[in-house]
Formats: sequence, structure tokens, C-alpha cells
Amino acid sequence: MQIRTTNAHVRDAAYAMPAALFMALLFALPLFSVLHQSLQQENGGGLTIQAYAKIFTTPLFLRVAYTTLEVSISATVFSLLLAYPIAYFLAKQSPRRRALYMILVLVPFWTSSLVKSFSFMVLLGQSGIINQMLGAFGIAPVKMLFNRFGVMVGMSHFLIPFFVFPILTSLRSQPLELAKAAAIMGAGKLRIFLRVTLPLSLPGVMAGALLVFILSLGFYIIPALLGGRQDMMFANLVDFYTREALNWPMASAVAVLLVAAAALAAMLLSKVRGGSSILSEEGH
Amino acid sequence: MTDSSGAKAAMIEISGLRKDYGSVVALHDTELSVPTGEFLTLLGPSGSGKTTLLNLIAGMASPTRGRIVINGRDVTEVPAEKRGLGMVFQNYALMPHMTVSENIAFPLEIRKVPRAEIRRRVAEVLDLVRLPHVGDRKPKELSGGQQQRISIARCIVYKPDLILMDEPLGALDKKLREQMQLEIRRIHKELGITMLYVTHDQEEALNMSDRIMLMNARRVEQIGTPDQLYFAPRTQFAADFIGASTLLDATVAETGEPALLRLSASESCRVRLHSAAPVGTVGKLLLRPEALRLVQNGQVTAGHNVLHGHLDNTLVTGATSKHFVTLDNGATLAIQELTDPSTTRLEPGLRVQVSWPPETGRFLEN
Repeated sequence: MQIRTTNAHVRDAAYAMPAALFMALLFALPLFSVLHQSLQQENGGGLTIQAYAKIFTTPLFLRVAYTTLEVSISATVFSLLLAYPIAYFLAKQSPRRRALYMILVLVPFWTSSLVKSFSFMVLLGQSGIINQMLGAFGIAPVKMLFNRFGVMVGMSHFLIPFFVFPILTSLRSQPLELAKAAAIMGAGKLRIFLRVTLPLSLPGVMAGALLVFILSLGFYIIPALLGGRQDMMFANLVDFYTREALNWPMASAVAVLLVAAAALAAMLLSKVRGGSSILSEEGH
Repeated sequence: MTDSSGAKAAMIEISGLRKDYGSVVALHDTELSVPTGEFLTLLGPSGSGKTTLLNLIAGMASPTRGRIVINGRDVTEVPAEKRGLGMVFQNYALMPHMTVSENIAFPLEIRKVPRAEIRRRVAEVLDLVRLPHVGDRKPKELSGGQQQRISIARCIVYKPDLILMDEPLGALDKKLREQMQLEIRRIHKELGITMLYVTHDQEEALNMSDRIMLMNARRVEQIGTPDQLYFAPRTQFAADFIGASTLLDATVAETGEPALLRLSASESCRVRLHSAAPVGTVGKLLLRPEALRLVQNGQVTAGHNVLHGHLDNTLVTGATSKHFVTLDNGATLAIQELTDPSTTRLEPGLRVQVSWPPETGRFLEN
């Protein structure tokens, strides 16, 4: 028994080796290099936590941190409001129809952020398609680009599939008898939703929210292309320090803090019911 | 609930009820009248239409045609949540995010019962199902049998006119199932609520029901008391489905009291016909194992039927034993008797006779 278990462990570890090697070379190693970089002095010399000390007193960093948090939270909420009805609708369909509609949900998921951002520029611009249509009705152009609105549209569009799947999973795992039982007891459709369906889907909502929030923290292309100067997020700040300020220790420190924040959120995700299935791909 | 004639008013009155799914018939035209306070069981194999009928009554499906009247109200077009029924499910259907008390309080909240009364009534039904101390637990923390009691409590707490039970004991082991059968019967007696119970387990149906509605191939096969279904099945299906039975090919050779049935070229027996079957009618002779006796050396009671064969084997199952006999015409039958060493120790292969009085056999036309 003991020998078999040990063998099984060795075998399982062997399966994980290629991925582990890949991650070690292309994630862990560069991460250490970034961590090392963040501990350098600006003008060379020994290791120091100077960059971190400086970062927390830099108004720019604090403002960007606040913006990142604000954008991530509002994008999460906005995506939830749009994703929940989609998931609810999908859950009610027959398996064939659901498979078909799922493709529609996945199309944006398969499209590059860059392509999507440019499409949104065409759609939302000052003389874009939407404003031209509004103009036809005599409505003055609305500023939808290079501001928070543009960022929200772009981010939600990207994030919705990540929200739909965990919610759909928790809606579909609810026994059909529960709603049926509630109906026979006299509950109307709204009450069944509020008292049965919704509470039972909360683990999926929580898992989805954390996942989407983690993804939001690291957004780069969308705020850069669709947002204005005031919509700068962590990743854009890293870009700023590397390419414009040429302050690599500061850029690395921001990157390390971003990874730390994401790791913290991922740890929370593994703690919520339904969240571990997203991380482990195991379900239940 | 009694009208002027003294007969009990019907709780359920179903006429011409039928359900089709496209070209597939899920339930053939069905008539049913259930008196108030009755415990009626819908019994049948899976796919016999019993669940379809239950869903139509519950309002979870709408009939292709026909009418459903519950407690004097035509509910054919009424949605499930407005029918005021109760239902118990095989997998309990308790809300996993609510405590036991919250589960039971849920239907009362829907009915806008005041808080204090909800508390009182929840405690009352928890006492009734003999689980007074589990109110604060989540359903998951209870055993299957306990969960099913809670689901029954959730049903009776709002005093519906009619409770539907869809194989409620199907997920429980045998011992617990028997205990719960008694429990449900006790609750039925104490409250006098009309109950419609679905099962595929004939023993359960015989144990619990005032009447049994036997269903087969999506139509009603026979409806009657357990006694009627057991002793006077009207069809071969009913005879075969309820209780253990042996069915032997038989042809009516002489009418009269009792009539003569020919079983093979050399064998015949006497039976009382319950229908006017003319000479030449082909059918089956139903013999219940407990009505048969194993006889040696031709010691047959005068007037009893007798068939010859040899003993295949004997099983002692406890208080009763089963003998399996192959008749000379090749058919095999089972005999069930109280365990008696003088017959259980007989050697397989021995020549024996099987005997039974004419009134216990039953002829069923093809």
C-alpha cells in the first residue's frame, strides 16, 4: 500500500514536470530577477529596500494604486451585473442550445485584447459609429473614449466570460427539485430566485468575483488604449517607470507588489466554495 | 367533509386526463377519484406513467386534455404555486443554505404567517416527526431518514389539503424504509391529510395504502384495496407485479362451480371463475406460493387440486421456507410454507405433489 502510494506520487509528479519546468524557467526565474531588480539601488551598489520605501511616499504610486483598486472593483461589479443574467439564461437552456450560446460568450474570450481595443475605438470614438448614429438623431457627440467609461466597456467585455462560467457552474449544480419544491410550497418566480437560486449561486459569484478582480489588477492594454491619463493602472505604471522614467528598481517594485496582490487574492479564491474548482479544474 | 349522502367528498377528481409529448403518449386517458383522507398509492414499474400523473396533479406539467379538480376547485389551468399542495421528493429537496427551522418556516413565510406563530408551528411539527432538537442544524448534518422526516414536516406545517409523495423512501436502506413507512402511516392517521404516494415497490404499496392504483404502460391497470389487488388481480400483469406468483398456461374445459381448467394434455384442475369465461377461453392460472402445499405419497385433502412433479430444491429463509418444484409438464412453481423439518429435509429430485383448494387459484384471461 505504502509502496503503491509512493509510486503514484512519483508518477503524478512526473506528469507535472514539464509544466513545472516551464513555469520555473519562464515565471519563477524572471520573477526572482524582478524581485532582485527591485532591491537594487537606483545608481547601483548593494541591495536595499529603497525602491519600496520611496514607492509608498510617491503621490503618483498612491494615486495609481487607488485607481487600480477603484477600476478593478467597479469593473468586477459591472461585469457581474452583465454576466449573471447571461449565466442564468444559459442555465435554463437545453444542452444543445447552451453549447451554441456558449460559443457567443466565448468569441470575445478568443479575441486578442489589442484587436478588441481598436474595435472599441472605432465604435466609441468622437466620430465613431455610435456617435454618428446619435448625430443622425441630432444628439451631440458623447465622450466615450479615453475616459473611465471606455475602460469599463473594454474591461467588462473581456471579463464577462470569466464571470459567466463559475456562475453557470453553480447554477447548474443546483438540484432542479429545489425550485420545484419551492413552487409547490407556493413560492412565486421572484421569491424562488431571491430565496433559493440566488443564495445557492453565491459561491460561484464569489469565485468569479475574485477571479475577475485578480485579472483586473493586471490590465494593461485596455487602460492604455481606451482610458485617459487619469486611468493609469499598476501595469501602466510599470511601463511608465521602465520606458519613460527609466527607473527599473521602481518598475520592479511595482511589479512585485502587483504579483503579491494577485497572489493574495488567489489565496482567497482557493478558500471560497466553488473557487477551488477554478484553480484546480477539478469541480466539486 | 361529508356531504348529505354520508359519502366522503372527493379530494381529487380526475376525468379524461391525458398527456402527450409530441407523438409519444405519457399518460393514456385516466379517470380517478380519491376520497378525502385516503392514502392512495400509485404503483407501477418505471415508465408506467405514475410520475407523469403525479406531475400533472402537482402542476409541474400541463395535460393535453382532461380535468383535474382538487377539493372542489378546478385546478387544470392553475400554476403549481397556486394549487396549495404539498410534495415530498425522493431526494428530500431541502434547501441546503437554510437551517432545518428555516426550511420548515419557508412555506409559512410565503403564507405571511406571523413570526411568533411560525416559531410555534415549526416546533410543533418537529415534535410530530420526532426530531425536536435539530432545528438549528443544516440539512446536510442529518441522516437521509432524518432529512426525509424534515421534508415531511415542511409539508405538513402548512396543512395542505393533499400531500404528494414521489418515491420518498427510494433513497433509504431497507430497514429505515420500513420504519419510515410506519412513520408516514402514523402521520397520515394523526392528521387525516389525503396522501398520494408514488412507489415502484409493491411491498411498500401493500403495507401503507388504503387503496392502490396499479399502473402499467402509461395507463391504469387496476385500482383497489391491497386485499383486492392481492387476492383478486384482474389481469396477468397485476397478478405478476403484486406479490409472488406462478402463472401456468390454462384453458377453460368446463364451466360451472367450480370450473375445470385444462393445464396440459394430462393435467387439469378446478378453479372458481370470477368472470363468465366460456369453454375454450385461453389464459393463465395464478397460484400464490403461500396457497400451495407440498405433499408426498398422494396425501391430498379431498376436493383439492393436485399436480405431480419433482422437487428441485428447498430454501429455508427463516420462519418460512420455499420449495421449487418442476411439474411433469415442464413448468416450475414455488411453494412457500412455514418452515417444517419434515419437508425442508426432503432430497432434491424426489417425486412430490403440489396441492391447493379450488378457491385459491385464479384464472386470468389472455
